[in-house]
Amino acid sequence: MDAIEKELDKLTNGGANLSKSIKDIDKCLEMLMDARTTIENDPTATVPTLQALESQLKTGFQLATDSLKGPHGGIAKYGKALDKKFKHSTNENTFGALANRQPLINRAIQMHLLREGNFEIAETFAKEAGIVEGVPSVLDIEFRELFSIQESLRRKELKPAIEWAEKRRDLLESRATNLEFELHRLQYMILLFQGTPDDIPNALAYAKAQFGPFQKKYLTEISQLAGCVVWREKLSMSPYAALIQDESSWQSIIESFTTEFCALLRLSAESPLYVATTAGAIALPTFNKMATIMKAKKTEWTSQNELPVEVPLPDKFKYHSIFVCPVSKEQTTDSNPPMMIPCGHVLAKDTVQKLARGTGSRYKCPYCPADSLPKEAREIYL
Amino acid sequence: MTTKSAAILSADNNLLLEEPLLRLPLEVLRKIFKSSQRYIENDGKKLTELARDAGAKAPQVSQEASLESLNAMITRMQTLKRKMETLHEEEKVVHAQSRKRVSHLNDLHSLSSLLEDGYESWSKIRLDRFMVDYMLRNGYSNSAKQLAQKQGIEELVDVDVFVQCWTIEESLRNKKTTECLAWCAENKNSLKKIKSTLEFELRLQVYIEYVRERKLKEAVTYSRKYLSGSCDTHTTEFLRASCILAFPPERPGPYKALYAEGRWDHLVKTFVSTHHSLYNLPQEPLLHVALAAGLSSLKTPSCHSTLSTRHNTACSVTSLCPICSTELNELAKPVPYGHHTTSWVDHDLIVLPNGRVYGTKRLSDLAGKLGLDSGKYRDPISGEEFERADVRKVFIS
Repeated sequence: MDAIEKELDKLTNGGANLSKSIKDIDKCLEMLMDARTTIENDPTATVPTLQALESQLKTGFQLATDSLKGPHGGIAKYGKALDKKFKHSTNENTFGALANRQPLINRAIQMHLLREGNFEIAETFAKEAGIVEGVPSVLDIEFRELFSIQESLRRKELKPAIEWAEKRRDLLESRATNLEFELHRLQYMILLFQGTPDDIPNALAYAKAQFGPFQKKYLTEISQLAGCVVWREKLSMSPYAALIQDESSWQSIIESFTTEFCALLRLSAESPLYVATTAGAIALPTFNKMATIMKAKKTEWTSQNELPVEVPLPDKFKYHSIFVCPVSKEQTTDSNPPMMIPCGHVLAKDTVQKLARGTGSRYKCPYCPADSLPKEAREIYL
Repeated sequence: MTTKSAAILSADNNLLLEEPLLRLPLEVLRKIFKSSQRYIENDGKKLTELARDAGAKAPQVSQEASLESLNAMITRMQTLKRKMETLHEEEKVVHAQSRKRVSHLNDLHSLSSLLEDGYESWSKIRLDRFMVDYMLRNGYSNSAKQLAQKQGIEELVDVDVFVQCWTIEESLRNKKTTECLAWCAENKNSLKKIKSTLEFELRLQVYIEYVRERKLKEAVTYSRKYLSGSCDTHTTEFLRASCILAFPPERPGPYKALYAEGRWDHLVKTFVSTHHSLYNLPQEPLLHVALAAGLSSLKTPSCHSTLSTRHNTACSVTSLCPICSTELNELAKPVPYGHHTTSWVDHDLIVLPNGRVYGTKRLSDLAGKLGLDSGKYRDPISGEEFERADVRKVFIS
């Protein structure tokens, strides 16, 4: 990047731009103006002055043309710096996989815009793109609610989020989430710590009113919260230091609220479009290498249903368990599912059949001395 | 099992899609420079001619006449200066824009891990830029402008270039060639350099339209003026085109292809691909490239499985996969799934009596959160409850 910046500096500050030519042209203009003044003041000078103009202008324009060499060279050098930086670029890597799938991409974009709270843009987009069967309006309304609650959380107002969670207590409980309790806990801590000591009764009253339904599951937490009252002045030195609420607690409450809200809509909390494009950008070098090899071998990867090479992605991009049969090295699929054999080892179905030579006869586990019959293997779901 | 190396951020690898970000302003800069060159050359020539004339005529004409011609030269010179200054302003805008873009790419170079927050926000901007690029290429220019403005990335996207491209595309779709021909004239030299046939194809179309309307005289005049010059380079096309004079559209004979409506689509495609290659732009939206690669690398055989093993949202301990989500599921159907050489599963796997396998910790955490009796597990997907005594250990090698 440094080389690029250096060349760019030359274009802007180093004079490799049009400013010098403009000065040359300005000089020509001045010369013409001077000639006019001369003639106006001394009519007898008209003929010699005008006759001198041609060669003067020629020289002047020659200078202006010469001055163009600066920007010309500067642009060329800047271009070379770019060439060097981008020599591995993916310009013509047309996988074509998405070429005719505009409606689906449009819908994904529309959803992404709504998720980000860009409702107006989403509307313009739906109109311009002529989206007919896009995101159902129910979702649009839901996303508006999500966004407005997120906004209130950013303003440090908990009430709308608490109301939302209260209404969905059963659903949230079946998801084994503690969102509602955490919202109340945050509210309690705010009441306790942000007011004066006179506000302590308010905090306690809040606790009394709200923590009731959570007694069974969160007894330890609730007693800790009660304990905080004693340590109000020096919580950081207390056994309850971990309960201190700061910016990050707000951040995490916004995150868990968003996750729960989206989950109830059967959506992932992070925008799939964002996750997929980011993963794609990370994966691209591998794809590029692959494309080069494919081209050399004149094969096409879209013809198979599995990529030929492994794409290294950080763990957070792994959402499913993956089982690769240790014998056949194949990933299991619907038609070749993982099977657990009686000793507890797992093999792909095809492998089990191969080991039993297709006859249903007894075979030995490749990983321990146990032997078993193919029919004893049972399908498992990872 | 955690692959640390996968999280290392190599800025150069991340730049694979970023070339157009700097390339396009460079092409704009080149264009500005070429215009300035043309102005200086043309006006210089014209002005020295005027000076020569004025000098030669001076002894014969009145002083007023001489002053008048001098004034004409001054006016012309002033116009040139103004034109040059306008170009200089445009140049400055491109410089400033390039600087912003370079610094945006530099932000990436200051990061070292894909797990840093900085990478996430950089990547969010990248998605915004790609969406704007996608919108512009599809002619959704208002959405593109709104999005760019809202996200404050106007310096990082190229609205003007794409809007111009789209306007010309639309005019071609409306069967008008004027705008596109003007564009060809503007970029004559660059088109010649890449041996583009765009202009010939456009001229040919104009001619065909004359023939279609049976304005044969105009057709012949037009062909003489614009097509005959290319008869060396496009001999076959030229000869075929000449033959349609004898074959009206109702009875096109072997020349059906020349009368075909599809020729207009072909012109649109040719124009767009020529336009993009002149500006060094990829032919496909960047979003397509990134998304196609992303869909494949994230996709697993489970994402389109007909069995109900898909992670659902019934429980907070499972996170929803982006490929399984409604937004991308259909889109990901035709792409191949990612290749893996090693299994990727939880630690201490156990199998429930219903055949589902989970990590022990996952199930005990869930049971704790749900407040289940200590002797029980709940299947987070099916919701069934089982006795802890009934589970078995699973070994994955």
